[in-house]
Amino acid sequence: MILSLAWKNIWRNKKRSLIIIVATALGLWGSLLSGAIWMGWGESMVDTAINRDLAHIQIHKPGYAQNKEIINYIPDGFRILEETKNLPGVKAVSGRTLVEGMAASPTSTFGVKIVGIVPAQAKTVTDIYKRLIEGEYFTGSGGRNPVVIGRKLADRLGLKLHSKIVLSFQDLDGSLNYAAGKIVGIYKTESGLFDQSNVFMRQADLFRLLNTKPLIHEIAIRAESARIMPQVYAAVKANYPQLAVHTWKELAPEVAYTSTAMEAFTYIFIGIILFALLFGITNTMLMAVIERFRELGVLIAVGMKKGRIFSMILLETILLSITGGVAGIVIGGLSIAYFAHTGIDLSLLASSLETFGVSTTLRPFLPLDMYIALPIMIVITASLSAILPAWKVVHIQPSEAIRMY
Amino acid sequence: MPLIELHDLSKTYNTAAVPVQAVKNVSLQIEKQEFTAIVGPSGSGKTTLLNLIGGLDKPTGGSIFVEGKDIATLKANDLIDFRLHHIGFVFQAYNLIPVFTAKENVEFIMLLQGVSRAKREQRALELLESVGLGDKVNSFPPQLSGGQQQRVAVARALASRPSFVLADEPTANLDSHTAGALLDMMAQLNREYGMTFIFSTHDPRVIKRARRVVTLEDGAVKSDVRQNEGKRET
Repeated sequence: MILSLAWKNIWRNKKRSLIIIVATALGLWGSLLSGAIWMGWGESMVDTAINRDLAHIQIHKPGYAQNKEIINYIPDGFRILEETKNLPGVKAVSGRTLVEGMAASPTSTFGVKIVGIVPAQAKTVTDIYKRLIEGEYFTGSGGRNPVVIGRKLADRLGLKLHSKIVLSFQDLDGSLNYAAGKIVGIYKTESGLFDQSNVFMRQADLFRLLNTKPLIHEIAIRAESARIMPQVYAAVKANYPQLAVHTWKELAPEVAYTSTAMEAFTYIFIGIILFALLFGITNTMLMAVIERFRELGVLIAVGMKKGRIFSMILLETILLSITGGVAGIVIGGLSIAYFAHTGIDLSLLASSLETFGVSTTLRPFLPLDMYIALPIMIVITASLSAILPAWKVVHIQPSEAIRMY
Repeated sequence: MPLIELHDLSKTYNTAAVPVQAVKNVSLQIEKQEFTAIVGPSGSGKTTLLNLIGGLDKPTGGSIFVEGKDIATLKANDLIDFRLHHIGFVFQAYNLIPVFTAKENVEFIMLLQGVSRAKREQRALELLESVGLGDKVNSFPPQLSGGQQQRVAVARALASRPSFVLADEPTANLDSHTAGALLDMMAQLNREYGMTFIFSTHDPRVIKRARRVVTLEDGAVKSDVRQNEGKRET
């Protein structure tokens, strides 16, 4: 009955209550949508980085990150690759042979990382094959030494599809090798930096050019889902204590930080909106209380304890706020779902986005925990808003309030 | 033991200019089943005295015993609880909750007392029936006339099964016909259920119907007259 009274009290002054409900709904809708865009941005950075080359987990020889020389390959790498493939929770693995070198055209040279892959294996871990804008991904014979390069590198070197490219790199002995390759595919990812510095070759071709036994420097692991990545990581780390095992968060802390920061910004932004709304709600409730001063005095006179009156005002404030809040969450959720489905086209900002490694189609995203945290934040805001009006009410002198007209 | 005993009761308001003594050394005893009117001109201290008896105000001197308990010494929450269980209030301006129906208004007091829903509903319906509003239980106060609203207020005052009902100028806002009907109803409740009524009023219709008339002047008791003795209220 108290709940019913609180709810009915809200609608005594429909216009005033609707104003604050609409303000709450619009405030939350705006903050949720903008928060979802930021988080979509962060997620896009994470997803593209994982899909492009990081995968979920990588294994290297200890010290490889500091000294990326060809001799720092993973000892017995192919056995580890096979073993890792069969670990629970592992979806796919890809062994990579990495060689630092130079790419040259008749007009220019540029420092690159030559990545030796088994195409069928690489396809299961990363999606470079989906990013081809010209040519093919090692599907045909391609002649001797087929090479797939990024659009940005092709532009820098002035090369086109089917052009010849000269790669120079040191072999295991430290001797400088030159090899001519043919560009069979040109890819373009969200990261211009990646596109200008990664050249893909078939592993077998690279071994032949290096004149070496098969060796790999990096094992990229794709877990079945991001959720079970920590368990897979723990298992790999336990199995190979002699090797350096890192998650994508350790490999690209800036990407992980951006994603976390976006979530924090969203909470801060919503917090600011709710803080502003706090004053509006307080004002509305103060007006509602002052208008009903006599009636509240009567309630105290006939036997309603002040604690109960306080609870009633608190309940009214929470109901008022949560009505607007739920409306905002529903509208926000629907807007986010709509834009997540259609995507927001940011192709006009494509060149800037390349710097951040963000997709030009942004899909807003809001984690489920935020939908749970938000009503809690609203209830806290409402409770704070109720303090002043409720404080006024509990200090009513019934004998004075009853005489008010 | 008298229902209400006032000993040397005083109330002084410390206003900005000079202290105003609204009630001066009032001593009274009110027995159960009385039908008492407290009368006097405006400013004579009727409402203040009623507020003191009802525990809505604290005296600055003297004591108020209700059923042997000195209510002036009760703490705020205990006093609210005491009012809830012992005193029924009827106000001049009815003061019903406008968003509740007549039945819900009557039920609300019982909700505060912790009465079960089924019992609340049953008693609310009985009370509204007894005040002649059996057909208006689902009406909201704005849909009722002044007289009907005051009847709901009386039903509400009785809902808590109080020891007595305090009515502050209950007929002041009613036309003579409606006021008469309301007085008839309260007299009937006094006669049939032995409910004690204490009114503050300057309405001659109420004064005429009272069996005891306490007249105040400048906050002090000027006269205390019993009338209509031996004659049951009709």
